[in-house]
Amino acid sequence: MKKPDLSKLKDVDFRKAARDFVYGKPHGERRLGDLYIPKTGLYKHREWRGIKDTMYYFNNIWLYNYGMIVRDLMVYGGGPKGAIQFLKGTWRYRWMGQTYLTVMHWFDRCLEGMRGETLKASAWHFRGITSACLYQITGFFNRDLNIGGDPALRAKTIGTDETVWGGIIYPYMDQGGYYLPTQMIPYFVTCHCNNHTVLNYIDAVQAYGLPGDPCPMCQAEAGIYIEDDVPDAYVAMVTTNEACDSSVGTSVIQDWMMNKPLFAMPQVMQFDDDSVLENCAKEIEMAWRFIEEQTGLEFHWDELVKHIELQNQQTRFEWEKWDVASNTSNYPINGVAQALYRIFYSQYGERPFWHEVDAKVRKIMEKCVEEDINTFPMTRHRVIAWSCAPLYYSAWCTWAYNCWGLNTIINMDSLMFDMEIRTDSYEDCLLDCAKYHEWAPMRRMAVGGLQHIFELWENMEKFNCDMVMMYDQLQCKGMQGVVGLFEDEFRARNIHAIWMPHALPDKRTVPRSEIRRIINDYMFTVMGEEPLDPSLLDFDDIDSW
Amino acid sequence: MRDLKHLIYFEDLLQEANNELVRKGKEDGNICLGYTCYFMPEVLLDLPGCFAVRLRAPRCTSPDCHYGRSLLERALEGGFNFIDAQLATETCTVTCRFQEHLEYMDDVINNATFKTSFTDVPFKKNENSIDHYRKQLKIKVLDFLANEFGVDTSDKAILKAIEINNEVNDIVTEIGNFRKLENPPITGYEFSVITLVSMVCPKYLIVDKLRETLEEIKKREPDDKPNFKIRVLLAGSENDDPDFIKLIESCGALVVADRHCYGSLEARQHINIEEGEDPLTAVARHYLLTSQCARFMEQQEMRHRKKVLADYAKEYKADGIIVESNKFCEYWSFERMIDTIVLPRDFGYPVCSIEKEYINTASGQLRTRFQAFVESVELKKIQEGK
Repeated sequence: MKKPDLSKLKDVDFRKAARDFVYGKPHGERRLGDLYIPKTGLYKHREWRGIKDTMYYFNNIWLYNYGMIVRDLMVYGGGPKGAIQFLKGTWRYRWMGQTYLTVMHWFDRCLEGMRGETLKASAWHFRGITSACLYQITGFFNRDLNIGGDPALRAKTIGTDETVWGGIIYPYMDQGGYYLPTQMIPYFVTCHCNNHTVLNYIDAVQAYGLPGDPCPMCQAEAGIYIEDDVPDAYVAMVTTNEACDSSVGTSVIQDWMMNKPLFAMPQVMQFDDDSVLENCAKEIEMAWRFIEEQTGLEFHWDELVKHIELQNQQTRFEWEKWDVASNTSNYPINGVAQALYRIFYSQYGERPFWHEVDAKVRKIMEKCVEEDINTFPMTRHRVIAWSCAPLYYSAWCTWAYNCWGLNTIINMDSLMFDMEIRTDSYEDCLLDCAKYHEWAPMRRMAVGGLQHIFELWENMEKFNCDMVMMYDQLQCKGMQGVVGLFEDEFRARNIHAIWMPHALPDKRTVPRSEIRRIINDYMFTVMGEEPLDPSLLDFDDIDSW
Repeated sequence: MRDLKHLIYFEDLLQEANNELVRKGKEDGNICLGYTCYFMPEVLLDLPGCFAVRLRAPRCTSPDCHYGRSLLERALEGGFNFIDAQLATETCTVTCRFQEHLEYMDDVINNATFKTSFTDVPFKKNENSIDHYRKQLKIKVLDFLANEFGVDTSDKAILKAIEINNEVNDIVTEIGNFRKLENPPITGYEFSVITLVSMVCPKYLIVDKLRETLEEIKKREPDDKPNFKIRVLLAGSENDDPDFIKLIESCGALVVADRHCYGSLEARQHINIEEGEDPLTAVARHYLLTSQCARFMEQQEMRHRKKVLADYAKEYKADGIIVESNKFCEYWSFERMIDTIVLPRDFGYPVCSIEKEYINTASGQLRTRFQAFVESVELKKIQEGK
């Protein structure tokens, strides 16, 4: 037997090793890339974050979330029957089994390298998103006639395009009115958890003759209908033109494939114009009437007010968070947690689990501010991310902070829905609801008029950012149409902007490794900087979730 | 058939946006108003003292250029310096971006009086939509023209513009109706040229030649033996390239009906004013209800427009339907896909589904597709004993 080479021990700094064991290696000495199994993007083992944070991660994130997933399943699903429906749904729907069983790897990727209060606050956001997903998954399966769901529940359920704001159902919630954004769970969240799932749906719609150049998000949304992979859990559908021309095309496919009563609730694009609001408000009223006709539910003004007031609370807290993010170094939420949580709750609408998360996060954030905790101590650049983001690589901002110290403070989609809704009168409320709809994701700035796309400059200033991560969605006609104008402005304003090409859900067009390479190149050659963690510069994760 | 007397003249007018008649119209002291989409009512841009020009970028063959980009490229080259205003509609993203470039970049249109206006267009055809559209046209077109250019936008002026437009609409429609005959005295290519010149020239300068052409066609003797094998309806997205139709016809398919952007079936319908209706409401109703654009989202509209295509095909005795979409046109990419499934299944029409460039450069590949389609329809006809 070969004797161990004890001479190497002479070089070991035991004090430092002990410190690293207790507190974790400091940022700058970590080699997080070494944790991956080559060519998989999967972990050999979890990251050692020091005793306290590793224990927190294991107990309060990993174990806690598994436990809460089971709890949510039983509570939202209504007990054992819900669990059976869940199993049947997992068997029936490709997106379910393929995606959501990998959920904890999603947590790992997005929370990589996080420590202390940042780890805690970011993880709470993921807890909120997971709970919201289970709320919808059980909502789907309990009502789904394809797997023996309850027709009585289905009769009070409206399916919608995922870009229809969930507030549409507020007036009916006390009567069991239920809202299911039909693509959010089968498609949108899947891209983040397991980016392989969606490829099947893109291929399906192209096999039917759709060219490859329309927005791939809309392709995938249409593909789940082509594949008959949307649960039959709702009695009628409300659709919209949000966010772009392709969304209109998706509605056409949805209609032909599902063959249910459908109400189109289009919203105007040039929303600055006050002369257009009245039209949108009337469309919302017509949508309410449609829901009432289809479900037999009645419009309850008090119920609408109740939920809007609760939603306004969420919005006001978001503004508090933005205030901390803008003006301090104490903001404890990483880029991906901030972005996904914000888009999810503001689109899906007010529900109790968001408030529970907000209460936890408020506590953490207040602690950070009171104790002046520098939550991202290795920040070299404060980044604002603009335009529509790569869904298959939403965790890029975690990687960019760990590798380069690029701290993503805010992104464009978080700034949509940036308003309180008045409840002082029906008329004011209705007009504000119309405005809220018009300020939808990828719409408020991306295709709602050039002047809004250029709100980038004032938001850079507001959030105290010195760099732009300019998402370059290759199939977005709206954003591709202004690339030249942006380049002129970046040069004129002397702003460092990295163009990040991507194809929303389709990683085959621009792989994640290519995105990293482009950022690496810019940081080396233009910024002249060296990475904080060279092990993260290049690794092969094409096959990973 | 003998060549049409004015065909070469018409073809020449299509070689550049700032053609001879546009220049003449400007010399006469008229305001030249550009537009791109059917939803910008041409008739309102033909108010007294103005004339409408539907913008094209002829001969723009940049390989990565589709419609909106081609227009911008042509604008950057100075090709649209002659327009005094560009009135856009919020209808498809790319043309909106074209408009925004004109608004944002002062130096694109080198014309000191140049102005822009942007009109919102509803996605539905209900009363709320007509009311909204009317308001938009009042503010974004009529008030804009009155305030910026001092144009008379009274009801009387609108009625006059409707009258002039209807004259052109009726002539073009009458010419187009000859395509319903078993052996039409006009080709799809010729008709496309005629339709296009009616859109890109001041109407008062082109109407005489259109009228003369109508009279000529009435007396025109078609060849005894038709030189086409099948008759087709052309449907789909923007197409202002008559050579595309010429290519289809060179493969043996006569294009007898044109339901596409820049086609005649919608754009050249007679504008009617209902009793008690003011002219602006009539215009709003007409343009909203006659359009079969793929952006309309009401359930009944999404389904009904398939039937409209089938009805056109029946009316014009088409044997098949060619559905085209410009590359990158999102509305028509989806619509084309559904048309390709629904029209054969529910209405029994064979469909040739084509994705094309703005200006037809890939003629070899397209020719192969069209030839194959013609053969397949021909075979079907033989099998059916027709």
